[in-house]
Amino acid sequence: MKIAVAGKGGSGKTTLAATLGRLLARKGRPVLAVDGDSNPNLGVCLGLPAAEAASWPTLPRDLLAESTLPDGTRTTRLSMPTAEIAARFGVAAPDGVRLLVMGRVAHAGAG
Amino acid sequence: MCRVHATVRGLLGEIVAGAEDVAVVDMEAGLEHLSRGTVRHVDTVLAVLEPYYRSLETGARVVELARELGIGRVLVVVNKVRDDADRHALDEFCRNRGLPLAAVIPHDPCVLEADRKGGSLLDHAPEAPSVGAIRELAEQLVGGSGGRAPVA
Repeated sequence: MKIAVAGKGGSGKTTLAATLGRLLARKGRPVLAVDGDSNPNLGVCLGLPAAEAASWPTLPRDLLAESTLPDGTRTTRLSMPTAEIAARFGVAAPDGVRLLVMGRVAHAGAG
Repeated sequence: MCRVHATVRGLLGEIVAGAEDVAVVDMEAGLEHLSRGTVRHVDTVLAVLEPYYRSLETGARVVELARELGIGRVLVVVNKVRDDADRHALDEFCRNRGLPLAAVIPHDPCVLEADRKGGSLLDHAPEAPSVGAIRELAEQLVGGSGGRAPVA
């Protein structure tokens, strides 16, 4: 099940995403929580200490490799499986949820 | 669209595609981010709205967009619902616009308290009414009510 939680800022979408993720994890499902927001708060809403946010891993920019198929179509694929990305760059959150923060890629690129 | 952002969205899409079981993505705020690149591997979109007209209008557009993108299950969650008047108005709006209302989360001071403490709602107030409503939503999603999600 791949769920996207969409909404305006202030709608409560981050609280919903975090709470839903942990409740699904409590049902025994491995849950990957992905913070796609440029103002990353999902970790804190999941129950991780805000003070530690600065030490969470940064996603390297080369995770997405571009290649050209024999028929000339350009395509992109991950340079390693999602499970490995989650293991190497994810943060362990309560109830076994694994958190990935996407925004940090943007920061790396824009910096 | 900025190149860096394009990369992030492509990466997000691929990571979600490769997730083995449940992936919950907190999307960037704003409609423009609901693009094919980001959500093409998603099977469920939850549009989180507030019970006032402009927010509901935005929600109607999110639902429309998500359906255009071919998402199998597009559901509306209305948050911060204060009273029967709110409830009545949002029920009517969703009915008139054909929006699939999946959950109504009550306005709940616990949410603000948890936010102020900088922690999770679930740890701060596990028995809060808002948590109860989200628990019901989780059951609904797992139970497949509202249409089983297509296999990605």
